[in-house]
Amino acid sequence: MSKLSDINVEAGIADAGPPQQGGSLSVGQWLRTNLFSNWFNSILTLLGVFAALLMLRGVLNFTFSENREWDAVRTNLRALMTLSYPESQYVRVWVAVGFLMALAGMSAGVWENWGGVSVKRMSTWLMGSGGFFALCVLLREPSVIIDSEGKVLRTVEGTLQRESFWAAMTDRLGWWIAVVVLIAMGAAIWAWCSEPDRRNNSVAVTTVVFSGLGLLVLSLWLVPYGHYAFADGTYIAVPGRTVAFSTKMPWTVMWLLLFGLYFVGRSFRDTQWQGIVRGSSNLLWLISPMALFWVVLRDPALDYAHVLSTDLPMGLAFGVLGGVLLWVLTRADAGEAGRLTAVGLLGFAAFNWVAAFFGLYPMLQKARISFLLVALAALVAPNFIGEVAKRRQLIVGWLSAMALVHYMATMMNTPSTVELQSSEFLGGLGLTLFVAVIVVLLSFPLGVLLALGRTSKFPIFRMLSTSYIEIIRGVPLISVLIFFSVMVPLFLPDGMELAELAAVLTGYTLFSAAYLAENVRGGLQSVTKGQYEAADAIGLTAVQRTGFIVLPQGLRVSIPQLVGQVIATFKETSLLAIIGLFDFLRVANSVIPAQSEFMGVKREGILLVAMIYFFFNFTISKYSQRLELRVGLGER
Amino acid sequence: MASNPPPSMHHERPPLYRDVTVVKWVVQVIALLMVLGTLWFLAGQAGDNLRASNVPTDYDFLSVNPGIDLSSGIDTDPDTGGRALWVGMVNTLRMAAAGIVVATLFGLLVGLSRLSNNWLLRKLGSVYVESLRNVPLLVQILFYGAVFASLDRVTKDVGPINGWFHISNKGLSMPRVHIADGFYQWVVVLIIGLVFANLMRKRRNAQQDATGAETYPLLSAFGVVVFFAIVGWFIHPIFGFIGNIFDGAASAISALPENVLQLLIAGGSLGAAAYWIRGFLNSRRTPAGLARLTDDDYFRMIFAAAGGLLGALFFLVLWPGLSSWFINSGSDFFEVLGNKFGGGRSGRPVDVALPEIVQSGKFPNYGPSGLNFSIGFAAVFFGVVFYTAAFIAEIVRGGILAVPKGQTEAAAALGLRRSTALRRVIIPQAARVMLPPLGNQYLNLTKNTSLAIAVGYSDIVQVGQTVYNQTGKTLPVVSIWMFFYLSCSLSISVIVNFFNVRMRIVER
Repeated sequence: MSKLSDINVEAGIADAGPPQQGGSLSVGQWLRTNLFSNWFNSILTLLGVFAALLMLRGVLNFTFSENREWDAVRTNLRALMTLSYPESQYVRVWVAVGFLMALAGMSAGVWENWGGVSVKRMSTWLMGSGGFFALCVLLREPSVIIDSEGKVLRTVEGTLQRESFWAAMTDRLGWWIAVVVLIAMGAAIWAWCSEPDRRNNSVAVTTVVFSGLGLLVLSLWLVPYGHYAFADGTYIAVPGRTVAFSTKMPWTVMWLLLFGLYFVGRSFRDTQWQGIVRGSSNLLWLISPMALFWVVLRDPALDYAHVLSTDLPMGLAFGVLGGVLLWVLTRADAGEAGRLTAVGLLGFAAFNWVAAFFGLYPMLQKARISFLLVALAALVAPNFIGEVAKRRQLIVGWLSAMALVHYMATMMNTPSTVELQSSEFLGGLGLTLFVAVIVVLLSFPLGVLLALGRTSKFPIFRMLSTSYIEIIRGVPLISVLIFFSVMVPLFLPDGMELAELAAVLTGYTLFSAAYLAENVRGGLQSVTKGQYEAADAIGLTAVQRTGFIVLPQGLRVSIPQLVGQVIATFKETSLLAIIGLFDFLRVANSVIPAQSEFMGVKREGILLVAMIYFFFNFTISKYSQRLELRVGLGER
Repeated sequence: MASNPPPSMHHERPPLYRDVTVVKWVVQVIALLMVLGTLWFLAGQAGDNLRASNVPTDYDFLSVNPGIDLSSGIDTDPDTGGRALWVGMVNTLRMAAAGIVVATLFGLLVGLSRLSNNWLLRKLGSVYVESLRNVPLLVQILFYGAVFASLDRVTKDVGPINGWFHISNKGLSMPRVHIADGFYQWVVVLIIGLVFANLMRKRRNAQQDATGAETYPLLSAFGVVVFFAIVGWFIHPIFGFIGNIFDGAASAISALPENVLQLLIAGGSLGAAAYWIRGFLNSRRTPAGLARLTDDDYFRMIFAAAGGLLGALFFLVLWPGLSSWFINSGSDFFEVLGNKFGGGRSGRPVDVALPEIVQSGKFPNYGPSGLNFSIGFAAVFFGVVFYTAAFIAEIVRGGILAVPKGQTEAAAALGLRRSTALRRVIIPQAARVMLPPLGNQYLNLTKNTSLAIAVGYSDIVQVGQTVYNQTGKTLPVVSIWMFFYLSCSLSISVIVNFFNVRMRIVER
């Protein structure tokens, strides 16, 4: 109980920053209040210091041990990122990364004012990291002694011989210099800003981030990190040339893109273009993962005769005829007939899929999807009845949707020109990110539909969605993935095939949607009854009420849970390694340890994978906290 | 609005395709039919494909020797497929139970340290939580597995184990506490002790309420249990006669006629439906008589009735063997219980065995006398415990922070000591907030043990995969997985709900 009695209920709230104002307390006072307030606390502090030092020493000794083969990771960096994407087409990877960088810079510029870091805080960071480095240098055990032939010296009993403590410290002179530089910089800034008029000076976050990234890129030019790269089962590039050699130019371009587009984006902020740029950057974020994967990375070999004879006419026909139909359906006198037409179209579209399953009449998959889209557009058409401008909005939306769908469908149907090394042309981190993004994008609409079904007044819909959600949530993801990767071929009718990746994506999306539905349901339930009644009172239809009143409020409330779900989805992409897809965990866990040079070297690769996952998830979760503040959750 | 005609008695019925009730039900029935049709079609397709590839979907493999060896469990060389899956289930449950207990305790510690006055503990807690929960569990499990695999090898000259614990790349071995001869008789004594302890607690509580003097109800109840445990250690052989009672029960059950039980099960199904409908109608009753039932209400009642009827038909026609199964397994159960008692069982209830190293095959390995954890078990166990503890810590922190400050102040104003205030005021209220998410975490932990497949620990998924690789019966194995995990989830949510209801604030 004495442990419990030390709980400070308020302390958790103050956790974000230093608990007491550092400026007003002297070091001794701060120590006394925060670490040695009574005898029990003092014991805890001593134990904590001991445990923390022990753990840090363990981590350091593990990381820098003479048994670690970090070469395995350095050599295989390219395999970890893209597995066996061929060298000759590698520029496509850089184009994809560059596009995302540019988009990220643009969005960062146009969307948010990133605020500043106070100079004082930066100086504490610098001094703190200096102190931490010093601690690390002191704690790491002395290195082993290696004789002139490169052999490790051992004593007669077989234990390793290590150099003396002082020899180790002098060996680490470079690190000591880094420590001194960091602390000196921190102290200089501290002294500079201690004058009253500079106390509240701050530096923009973007400046800090860009210069940090810039320093990293610059270091590629100065320090020859890593070794030659390993991909396609062989060493590419001559030994002696480093990874830095082949990546320093691309990364510099990436940095310039990020930096430049940030300023382009920022110049649009608070102008008349802001809305358009924001909208199009959002749209690009939605489209680009698919476009980058299927068009840029996959490099389809288009058969122009087929494109001209089939794809293009079909797209045009659906675009033009559908446009005309929608134009008619949005006339003021469309009335009941319009809705009946839409329902009829929906029935026809549904029938197309049934017919496809029974193999009744052949039709391109694209056509089925397009018919379904026509029906859906016809269903929403009554919302656009009115002035010409509004009707034109619908038509323009329709035409661009058709262009996009037909373009993507054509590209996805065309065989890839990338020479395959394994079942997928892309592996490693690229595959992981692709799966995560696609699953999040696809499971979102499905999850919202399920949540609406579960909260609907229609008993059969409610029953179906509830049982679906509960069954899926009751079983582990791995069993769902195994089920889909093994069983899907059995469920398909003759002549239909689904690649393993597609089967897994389907299973993962269906799984993720059930969890997402529960998060959305929480948000939907927070919408008060008055909102429904108000929507009914102003004469909205059920669809309008859901789309314009209930969902926007419900989704806003569930943003934190949705971000949590995104993180969970990203973490669980690691399961791809179990069912036989070559994501970067699988590369680290099975591919590298199987190479004859690095037989059985697992821990290094897995550690790197853990660090990359941590970096992404930590960033997302920190950003989500910021987002929560911005949308004012719990304040309004 | 003024132009609207006054409401007349004769409503003009809207056309059929505009009638809300009609459209609502037509749409729903079509949707239901489409879902059922799709499932039916897929199932038929799968059946065709499986027949075409000569892999019929039956459950025969459950009683056939699969010829597989399991890496760990209660039976590493199972003689039937069913037995193999059973070993996998026990392994999963074992892992889940151990993981839940340890993760809760550890998570509680970390959560409390994040609320501590001590700056260093707070920071250590934050570092722990942030780093553990942002790295995928599978990566952590694989890492622990790789670390354990790189430990020293077992050699014969390391033991007969020098001490109580031994760790190597074969895993971890430690002393095992196991059930011995008189255990079940001793348990009977303990149960009697528990009854007395409960009586004691109630009496002491009543005393304390009446006089206000501290009577230590829990402490004295605990004392009673300990007393009975110690006494029972020596006198348990006198409860050997209980075995005869169980044997009697077994023969009584096997004397039951099958048809009666079958009719009882079918009747029970109908009765449950009728009971539900009655309860439902009662809930719709107002002082002014039965409220007007909506089509929704009718749907529910029809659905319940149809369910009951289908259940009855199912048990009567499709599965008449159920009652004989019940009778057989019931009498088996009591026979097994009966065998646990008896005259020869006069030894110690519980025994301890120390670990040892034996030369069983080519390589030295841990002998069966110790409690052995394979590296697979250790990797998964540490993985799920550390990972889940990070989430539990956040739940604990959130729960305690959710108690309004006024409660602490009110407790202080009443003159309660800080520890009493925590025990009596803050923790009970925090527990109410914490319980639902905790239940969720327990569910997640149970499901996450399925990642054992990555390090080769024989849990249900890994065993199932081995079995279907041998026999080709993927669909049956997957259906067993689903059934197993769904029952686990259901049990955990029932338990959590039970406590949830008990802790709920009683409102008007």
